[in-house]
Amino acid sequence: MPQTKSKTILEVHQLSKHFSRKRGVLSAFNRRGGTIPAVDNVSFYLRENETMGLVGESGCGKTTVARTILRLTQPTSGRIEFDGRDITHLSDSELRPLRRDMQMIFQDLDAGLNPKMRVSDILKEAITVHERVSDAEVEIKSRLLLDQVNLKYSKLGSYSSELSGGEKRRVGIARVLAVGARLLVADEPTSALDVSIQAQVVNLLRDLQKQLGLSYLFISHDLQVVELMSHKVAVMYLGKIVEMGLTERVSGAARHPYTYILWSSLVEKHNREATQPIRVERRATWGVFDFERPARGCRFAPRCPVYEKRGRPAECTDPANEPQLRDVGGGHQVACHFPLGS
Amino acid sequence: MAQPLLKIENLRTYFYAHSKQAFVRSVDGVSLEVGQRETVGVVGESGSGKSITAMSVMGLISGGPGVIGGSIHYASDKVQKNLLEGLENYVQLEEGNGRVLTVKKDESGWQKASEKLMAGMRGKEIAMIFQNPRASLNPYITVGEQITEAVRLHSGISAVKEARERAIHWLERVKIDSPRLRYNSYPSGMSGGMCQRAMIAMALSSEPSLLIADEPTTGLDATIQSKIVDLLQELKNETGISTLLISHDISVITRLSDRVAVLYGGAVVEYGPASQLLDAQAGFKHPYTAALLASVPNQQKIRARANLQAIEGEVPDTINTPPGCRFYARCNQITPEIRDKCAAIHPELKDVAPGHQVRCWRFIN
Amino acid sequence: MRRSTRVKKYIQTSGEVSDFSKLPLHKKFSIPDLLYVGYGLLIVFLVLVSYVLGAFNLLPNDPQQINMDMLMAPPGTGGHLLGTDFMGRDIQSRLILGIQAYFLPGLLAIFISLSIGIVLGVLAGYRGGYAETVITYFTNLVDSFPRLVLILLVIAAFKPDIYYIMMVMGITGVPAVANAIAGKIRVLAQKNFIEAAIALGLRTRVIILKHILWYNCRALLIIQATLGMGEAILLETSLSYLGFGVQEPTPSWGNMVQSGANYFMQGNFWPSTAPALAILFTILGFNLLGDGLNNMLEGKRSR
Repeated sequence: MPQTKSKTILEVHQLSKHFSRKRGVLSAFNRRGGTIPAVDNVSFYLRENETMGLVGESGCGKTTVARTILRLTQPTSGRIEFDGRDITHLSDSELRPLRRDMQMIFQDLDAGLNPKMRVSDILKEAITVHERVSDAEVEIKSRLLLDQVNLKYSKLGSYSSELSGGEKRRVGIARVLAVGARLLVADEPTSALDVSIQAQVVNLLRDLQKQLGLSYLFISHDLQVVELMSHKVAVMYLGKIVEMGLTERVSGAARHPYTYILWSSLVEKHNREATQPIRVERRATWGVFDFERPARGCRFAPRCPVYEKRGRPAECTDPANEPQLRDVGGGHQVACHFPLGS
Repeated sequence: MAQPLLKIENLRTYFYAHSKQAFVRSVDGVSLEVGQRETVGVVGESGSGKSITAMSVMGLISGGPGVIGGSIHYASDKVQKNLLEGLENYVQLEEGNGRVLTVKKDESGWQKASEKLMAGMRGKEIAMIFQNPRASLNPYITVGEQITEAVRLHSGISAVKEARERAIHWLERVKIDSPRLRYNSYPSGMSGGMCQRAMIAMALSSEPSLLIADEPTTGLDATIQSKIVDLLQELKNETGISTLLISHDISVITRLSDRVAVLYGGAVVEYGPASQLLDAQAGFKHPYTAALLASVPNQQKIRARANLQAIEGEVPDTINTPPGCRFYARCNQITPEIRDKCAAIHPELKDVAPGHQVRCWRFIN
Repeated sequence: MRRSTRVKKYIQTSGEVSDFSKLPLHKKFSIPDLLYVGYGLLIVFLVLVSYVLGAFNLLPNDPQQINMDMLMAPPGTGGHLLGTDFMGRDIQSRLILGIQAYFLPGLLAIFISLSIGIVLGVLAGYRGGYAETVITYFTNLVDSFPRLVLILLVIAAFKPDIYYIMMVMGITGVPAVANAIAGKIRVLAQKNFIEAAIALGLRTRVIILKHILWYNCRALLIIQATLGMGEAILLETSLSYLGFGVQEPTPSWGNMVQSGANYFMQGNFWPSTAPALAILFTILGFNLLGDGLNNMLEGKRSR
């Protein structure tokens, strides 16, 4: 449960990241030009020892949010505060000490695992990045880390190509724990793993949070895992957060039609006889993310069942009136002109 | 039930790991049946041999030694034959200690004989859809033309116009909006979900008797996955096509399957009606199936914020298969009475209920 | 079992499945690769020995001594193992001395192409953006300019010196190295490898030197170097044939072939054949060494 007393570790304010479509010297002649708003005015905060889930379909900008927070890519606008300190414009050398505190787990199991280095070398490198540590201490700390991620000591001598998927993931987690991170941004940490191994990793991440008081930004398209992991959930659609709030509220009492569809698709997939109160009409644009011609007004309108049901109200497609996140009670925020259940 | 449409018996497909000088027993004695108008789900983790089983049925195994034993009986209205008929003549096995030690295989002879047997089967009798639909479509030919080509190849319709109409008909059947417009789209201009629909249209356009769907929803977004499952369900009801559905996603298997086979380490460990097998409460379950079902997050666990029940240990490789039960090292249901047998002898599939078999010593005697 | 010539046999080793790193050499790598590398190393050894012999003037005969009594002596006569050339000079000694013309200049060419190539490749692959665009255009420009024409221009502007030629060769070898390294970095970036290293807090210098160059590009650089040596010899030969290579009386294999070729039709085949064979076997050696090392280090086993 979120502890309301605890301190805010990460605050993201009006974060945007636009990718330029222009590339190369001859781009001046490129008539299509312009930018793709991969992340558009995203704001949220994360308290210590809390997990925030970030869900959405592929291409909605989840990963870009993660990379921008860790300053692996420079935001176009907005502000990122870590521990109350503005880190948006820090230089690479100013950022380096901060990397001790914030770390990322990548979707790719091999990220950070140099295939030509042994596990012991990988851990040693991580342990000694930010401080001088004697070899004996490295040895002790490596073993401690392996204990924390439930790996056998014998794996120290292995190369990453000799490890299974689950073991690679554990070494990856040990590597980020080695620097002593307090905030972990986990980008689809389980999606490359088998079902039985997924459960191990989810449990491991939860246990580590309890033991070490870590904070997670947990990004996944697997709604059930997000529900299990997170205290709060934010739902992204085409670069914007459309709904955000406590997990129970977002999953159980969704107010945005998109959130509702996401979670009902889960129920549908599980039950043989699906019960679905709103039948979503199939449309030509279904599933196609069209950044080139973004919908005017509400981005979700072309796919939105409520928009259809209400006879296509003008507000939804009014370019000057894009829905903004607003509170609907208890910190539950929705960006919709006609939230469900009202 | 009448004769099953597809009956795989004791299929063995091996590969050779040069670096380790050993066989990878990808499929090691798989037997399953797909009845007429039936959907059989095959669940398993990576390395369990589920995809290799499907590829073996399609005769698509390349790399040695490949399929080395077993039989695949296929019996539709039009064709009845064993797809591995006489192929054992090209393979010579030397066994010791109950496992294959040496394989001698005349690969070109095997390949030729297999091609002869598969002639007129692939695409026409047995169609297949894959995990990554965009990669299976030719990016430089419009989707419609690709389906038209398939229709002309397999349905005996040679007139281009007629074949075109058929293709559009099928695009409509898989619920692609404005099929006439989409006919001229290239795969790159379509979403992943739409490409998968087009693949399904292409697979079904030749009206095959058996559809093999290899991870048809993996890699698609949640909302799209659900739509594809809906579509497969509807098409199954409309056309009555038999399906061999392969997935690691238990929810997809649950939605679509009549019967389910659970694969572990290259062998079927449980085989039975979906309703019994996938019901977490029902008894008589292989420990692996039970653990697999328990490891998926469900509403109760989410509400209780409980940890998931993980299966300890790692997915085994199929090079060093232990002599006993392949799940022995990870099993949490071993009792002292059966421990010795579990460790030493590979159990047989045993009936625990009519049509429901489990490969576990707990259910033998 | 039907008799067929194309039966393939797969044998499972009994007992424990062995670890790849503990396998004997001939099981780890394919036999042809081992032969290639073995032959290549032999050639490298011979080249080194010849260089040392030449540098300390430990030759069987004086390579510059003109002997008008023994013009075109066939191999084996008068203590000349490989015979003499059209001026009666000892071919064997000239062959050994000929390495001098390639060794240091070749190393210079390799050094230039590797050092500039590494810098440009890292800039293009790691920094990306504007640097990448500029470097791509530069490498394309260098690549599209005929190398021989460039060399002739340099010779015309300065003098026909092997060092100038090899400098040009080094520069024209830059694009290959730069593209290979930039490509490798792009592959690593795609696997989030570099991002993971940055996120960990590693210094840029460590990432580039240790992770990119040392662990991931060392094989590539060794291979580029071996191929570069072979190429240097080949280039000098073609230039000598045009008369722009190493100038007489300094012997090089290229000018030996060229001067000997004039007498080939008269039945005096040895003055040109001996250096031609030397060129053939040496270049073959360097190329096979590069090929074999590539297969071994990059794990592309042909089996």
